Amino acid sequence: MPDGRTTPPDYLGLAGEYDPTSAEFAELRELLLGEERRQLAALQQRVEAQSKNAEEVAELLPEAIALRSGRDRQLARALAPTMESAISESVRRNPREIATAIFPVLGPAIRKALAETMAALVESINRAVEHTFSFRGLAWRLEAWRTGTPYAQIVLKHALVYRVEQVFLIHAETGLPLGHAASPDLKSSNADLISGMLTAIQDFVSDSFRQQEDGRLRTFSVGELTVLVEAGPQAVLAAVVRGQPPDTLLRKLQDRLETIHLQFAAAFADFSGDPAPFEAARPLLEECLETVLSHDRPRAARPRLAWLRWAVPLVLLGGALAGLAWRSQRRWANAVARLEAEPGIQIVQARRSLGTWRFRGLKDPLAAQPAVILAGLGADTTGLDARWEPYLSLEPSLVVARARQALAVPATVTLRLGGDTLHAEGEAPLGWVARADGLSLLPPGFSVLDTRAVAAKLPADLTALRNRIEAELVLFEVGSALVAPEERGVLDSLATAFRGLQSGTRTFGYRADLALYGRTDSTGSDALNQTLSQSRVEAVSGVLVRAGIPAERLKGIPLGTANPLTGRDSLQQARLNRSVAFQVQVTREPPR
Amino acid sequence: MIQKKVCMVGLFGTGKTSLVQQFVHSIFSVKYHSTVGVKIDRKAVDVDGTPVTLVLWDLAGRDAAQDIPASYLRGSHAILFVVDGTRRETFDQLSELQELARAAAGEVPSLVALNKADLAEQWVLGQREEAALAAQGRHLLKTSAKSGDGVEAAFSWLARETIRDGGSAS
Repeated sequence: MPDGRTTPPDYLGLAGEYDPTSAEFAELRELLLGEERRQLAALQQRVEAQSKNAEEVAELLPEAIALRSGRDRQLARALAPTMESAISESVRRNPREIATAIFPVLGPAIRKALAETMAALVESINRAVEHTFSFRGLAWRLEAWRTGTPYAQIVLKHALVYRVEQVFLIHAETGLPLGHAASPDLKSSNADLISGMLTAIQDFVSDSFRQQEDGRLRTFSVGELTVLVEAGPQAVLAAVVRGQPPDTLLRKLQDRLETIHLQFAAAFADFSGDPAPFEAARPLLEECLETVLSHDRPRAARPRLAWLRWAVPLVLLGGALAGLAWRSQRRWANAVARLEAEPGIQIVQARRSLGTWRFRGLKDPLAAQPAVILAGLGADTTGLDARWEPYLSLEPSLVVARARQALAVPATVTLRLGGDTLHAEGEAPLGWVARADGLSLLPPGFSVLDTRAVAAKLPADLTALRNRIEAELVLFEVGSALVAPEERGVLDSLATAFRGLQSGTRTFGYRADLALYGRTDSTGSDALNQTLSQSRVEAVSGVLVRAGIPAERLKGIPLGTANPLTGRDSLQQARLNRSVAFQVQVTREPPR
Repeated sequence: MIQKKVCMVGLFGTGKTSLVQQFVHSIFSVKYHSTVGVKIDRKAVDVDGTPVTLVLWDLAGRDAAQDIPASYLRGSHAILFVVDGTRRETFDQLSELQELARAAAGEVPSLVALNKADLAEQWVLGQREEAALAAQGRHLLKTSAKSGDGVEAAFSWLARETIRDGGSAS
């Protein structure tokens, strides 16, 4: 729009006649919108007034605050609740902001509190140790008792590095005291006199040595006391110190004095002898009252032989520790050697650290348990950290053990490894021997199992049969080799028993043989008797063969009068020896 | 408690120390005069119910060998000049001392104590001298260290003056 004016759309068909400045239009507007226009104007006025007021207030606010704050504390009281809730709201919303803001204040305060606490703790421990066990401690107790002074004060007197006993804040021009702080145990009501004298002395020194303002007396000592004087334009801060004040104390005084000058500038200007306005400076003075004890006292001050007090227990302790270490080392070496010697255990890595024994290695499943071995050596196995990978050891003892387990070797059989042959000896059931001999796959460690020395032990039923057979004795008349008719029945049942024995042993691969021992009594010649015993064996064999016993299973052993049986008397003995006796022999069936 | 510094000034032997000895609290011995040149005492005074502590700087008497250190006078709220009524020269040098005091402490209330009033027969000061002082606007008071006459009055007057003069601001 070139003229910046808006032409409304022609709703009413007034185009061409429309002039917003005409009187008619104004009237129309008044008629239609008069009330609303007035309200609008009033509202606008209010809005403008408000922003104008805000501007004015903004202009005046700082001054107003300064003015009112100077007059009374109403403003602070009025603002306090708002400030408090503003701060708590701010903390609630973003604690980080406030934390960052107050950190510079809190940090040093916390550090200081911690440092002081720690220092006090260390100092009290040090002193307790130092004084409890030392000759000096005893001497001090004696001194306390002798002088009637409390022990604590004696300790303080001796252990003191320095102690600020009094602090004077003195008006520089008049020498009048503005403030005074003293240790609680000091009762001095002469602060005014001392302040005056201190000022006089300052002046005296300055005048006497023609020093200018900046060259004032700062320190002087009397016996155990040192007076530190820090002078400012309006006031002097003097500290009476017992002991050796450090440089830091002077800096502290400077700092406090500067603070006082800053905070009490108005009070200094108005000062005319009334120290009341400076009462507020008392905390600053009291801060300067400090006591530092000798927890960091130079070593030279200690008796020359003091180290002995520490050296003896230290040497003892060191010796004890070395002894323990040596014992521990020896026990460890023992344990390692013992495990290395143990069959079936191979140590790959053995390491010892504090309270822990660490082993890595190989272990045959049949080897002894390492933990048990170590426990047997008296080692504490709770700290044992061991990992063993299983492997098969060819150590003879383990080969034997493994064979014993794999072959279910009876306890009555002992095993012995010779080269690659495992020799078995003793007595074993027929079944076991048969099974062992029949094995095609042997456990590792040997390739031949020799069971020849193992006596076959018959099962119970076969044992009964054998016992029956061996209990029989076929008797003969004097000089006769004729089997009596009543003996034939005995021989028949014997043959039956033997056949049973034969078939029983055969199932295990064994063969039963029957030995027949022919005997004679002692009468007659040996040659005759030998022949007679032979005849008797043959007679019995004939009966048994006829009863179905294969002749090759029978072995005749004519003894003659050799190896006779014994009887109750000679008559009975002669009778017993005119006989044939039996013995069952169970042997392995020779391989076919 | 309002405190005021009051200097006592006079020639050697005018009896300043003796004058106040019985009336003040002191912790320092007389030998301070010969060492530091000043001895400080305290005197509590009551001015119409207001307790005032006067810290008295008892300055060593001036003699040929020793001048009064101006620095001691600095900041005084009042000055007590002491003249020995039996020794003329102590009076003669008064104006010199007053000048010294004004230079160091400014215009402060002061009182001239004409001491040793008990030695009437040796008294050398007459009406003329007293009138001359009064004419200068000096306040005079006869005192006696021996009898104690005038001492309390001197302190009371000084205390009152310091309160009226400089104490109004505090």
